[in-house]
Amino acid sequence: MIKPVSSSPPGTPIIEVRGLGKKFVVKRTVFGRPLAQVGAVDDVTFSLMPGETLAVVGESGCGKSTLGRMLIRLIKPSAGEVFIDGHNVTNVSHAVMREQRRHVQLIFQDPYASLNPRMTIAQTIAEPLMLHNIVPAGQRAKRVAELLEMVGLRPEQANRYPHEFSGGQRQRVVIARALASEPKAIICDEAVSALDVSIQAQVLNLLKDLQKRLGLAFVFISHDLGVVKHIADRVAVMYLGKVVEIGTAEMTFSTPRHPYTRALLSAIPVAAPPSQHRSRAARLHGDLPSPIAPPQGCRLHTRCPHARPECQTVSMALDIEPNGHANACAFWRELPAQDADHVREPRNPKLEKLFAAFEAMAARPALTVSES
Amino acid sequence: MSTSQDILSNPSARSVRADDAVTPVLEVTDLRVAFEGDARTVTAVDGVSFTVRKGRTLAIVGESGSGKSVTSLAVMRLLPEHSARISGKVNFDGRQLLDETKSAMRSLRGNRLAMIFQEPMTSLNPSYTVGEQINEVILRHRPISKKEATERAIAMLRLVRIPSPETRYHQYPHNLSGGMRQRVMIAMALACDPELLIADEPTTALDVTIQAQVLELMRELQQKTGTAIVLITHDLGVVAEACDDVIVMYAGQVVEQCSVEQLFTFPEHPYTIGLLGSLPRLDEKRESLVAITGAVPDMANPPKGCRFQARCPFRIDKCAEMPDLMEVSPGHFSRCWRAPMEDLVP
Ligand SMILES: Nc1ncnc2c1ncn2[C@@H]1O[C@H](COP(=O)(O)OP(=O)(O)OP(=O)(O)O)[C@@H](O)[C@H]1O
Ligand SMILES: Nc1ncnc2c1ncn2[C@@H]1O[C@H](COP(=O)(O)OP(=O)(O)OP(=O)(O)O)[C@@H](O)[C@H]1O
Ligand code: SF4
Ligand code: SF4
Ligand SMILES: [Mg+2]
Ligand SMILES: [Mg+2]
Repeated sequence: MIKPVSSSPPGTPIIEVRGLGKKFVVKRTVFGRPLAQVGAVDDVTFSLMPGETLAVVGESGCGKSTLGRMLIRLIKPSAGEVFIDGHNVTNVSHAVMREQRRHVQLIFQDPYASLNPRMTIAQTIAEPLMLHNIVPAGQRAKRVAELLEMVGLRPEQANRYPHEFSGGQRQRVVIARALASEPKAIICDEAVSALDVSIQAQVLNLLKDLQKRLGLAFVFISHDLGVVKHIADRVAVMYLGKVVEIGTAEMTFSTPRHPYTRALLSAIPVAAPPSQHRSRAARLHGDLPSPIAPPQGCRLHTRCPHARPECQTVSMALDIEPNGHANACAFWRELPAQDADHVREPRNPKLEKLFAAFEAMAARPALTVSES
Repeated sequence: MSTSQDILSNPSARSVRADDAVTPVLEVTDLRVAFEGDARTVTAVDGVSFTVRKGRTLAIVGESGSGKSVTSLAVMRLLPEHSARISGKVNFDGRQLLDETKSAMRSLRGNRLAMIFQEPMTSLNPSYTVGEQINEVILRHRPISKKEATERAIAMLRLVRIPSPETRYHQYPHNLSGGMRQRVMIAMALACDPELLIADEPTTALDVTIQAQVLELMRELQQKTGTAIVLITHDLGVVAEACDDVIVMYAGQVVEQCSVEQLFTFPEHPYTIGLLGSLPRLDEKRESLVAITGAVPDMANPPKGCRFQARCPFRIDKCAEMPDLMEVSPGHFSRCWRAPMEDLVP
């Protein structure tokens, strides 16, 4: 029997990493020997199945973007291995990697910096279509228009340049370009954080829809836990380069184990009238330690509300429960239960009625407006 | 070495007086911005008016592309002169900014007027270290020595919670994470105790804990120095926690204006209702989010009447005429024929 070369046995993760690590040199001696290093990512292991969404959350500077870039080898790991579709790509040539990137796309955190200012939006989106020969030349313009419409932009905007777009519009152009190469997985680095909520909702719905139809997998790097809760199947929480908790979204949000995850959940700003705000007591205080000299033992001990002297010497190995929920706090079984207050948002019944009226009316058959 | 306390008790800082809260720092009246293209003219901002008072924070929220960034760039006089046509009035502390000379604007910017840009990578110079760039701003506006400027720059980096500021000072923008770059921008903007700070999505790349710290820091500085802040954000949680007043923009116009308390208690414009309704929530999981269907109108050729009509579920025949921004209840304005919305939910 002949099989297409790219198809891999069922059950193969689309992306898998084992013991992945990256150190950046931030200071050298006059002779070029490293003096100080940032351990941006340290011993990270996970796998991503086709059709699955893994969210990566954590404090600014904890290594999320570095991890995302290593997955497509834009940065070479200093330790560990990366597999794409079952192939070890840790040391493959640039040419082989270029071919793989069609299947795994990265949406960068800074949309403007990843668009070529001298190319129109149409040229930008058509580039991967051409490069990977996805549709015949004659149909490219039509495909570009479809992709623009998918992300909520108007096709007549195709011939304009990036500087003529707003921040959120540029981010959607970048998403359209990533979708153009029809990848199997997309790494979204804060891909929707510059979008206002209504467009964010459109784009998230679109991503979920594509996932269902095409079996796309996502690594979703985000600091917005509301969005993560909505889109993720599994969540990995990082702190100073280490994964401190990983589990299904359901487990992570309803029974967060690690003190850092708990602190993150309690810091979420709530869109409610200021008179109804929650207390800020549960938030993490103190400064993020420097990744150049991370604390010994559990890296959270300098800020953890539950820290005890032993925490300065414990290892950060993940303790995996039978249901797969894993976390790196050596003392998690002894911690007080987290009250579920963080998940309840106050609501005003009259306002609920107003939302319901909006939704019900919006669901009526297409509104007809004479565009005069 | 100076600490954050030194920065907060900076002798040049202005103290807040009781009557300050009513003193407008910035008054924008009927601002219009049109971009002239080859074949088409895009009216990005169409008759926007608002006031920001001393020691207060005004939020600008609104659909992507509704003119939030263009409004702030117009106030700062940073739009490309060859293509942007600007009219209206921008009164900053008694000066008409639209009539000021270029050199007068240059000495105001970064000093009394500061701006944090939406995309940090485009406003940081990749070939200078972040320390050099903050120093440059301080030295341009303050008669102090290079050494003092360096100390102040490092103290500012520490203030925005960047770990190892002495090392980071010597690094280039590409060596920092996205959120660190954003904080460098904030440090730079706050370095000269501005009277007015316009912050365009200053915390989008920040995770919640640092976001909360940075917002608290901005609040703290504001209480010390009475800085008036315009905060452009799409994060309604940030609006709720960090702002006093709010304007909601849609297709170049202000469609709702009120206090933050009023906005979240009971919004009075259908766009805002849709916006609040489409927030992903932590206490429920839905298959798909309520999205406002359809897209913003083409601003080169906007519809006659209400600009939200093609997407508005509450639309009536009258909406073919343009409504004014009308006061629905004390201090609460809405540009909608059907306000007050109370009548829709008996
Ligand atoms: N230099 C320019 N030339 C032509 N059109 C422009 C230019 N700058 C902005 N525009 C247009 O003006 C409109 C308003 O843009 P603006 O950047 O103010 O949006 P915004 O409200 O800040 O959106 P976002 O939330 O996405 O940042 C957009 O439709 C944009 O395409
Ligand atoms: N090219 C580089 N050279 C030196 N250090 C770097 C480089 N890229 C990243 N780093 C450092 O690695 C650490 C992790 O950075 P990374 O960009 O991965 O963080 P992040 O989790 O994506 O943060 P954010 O949420 O702020 O985007 C930071 O301390 C950063 O300064
Ligand atoms: S090991 Fe100690 S410091 Fe670390 S999270 Fe657990 S209790 Fe806190
Ligand atoms: S004026 Fe009419 S179309 Fe416009 S927002 Fe109000 S109800 Fe909707
Ligand atoms: Mg990042
Ligand atoms: Mg903008």
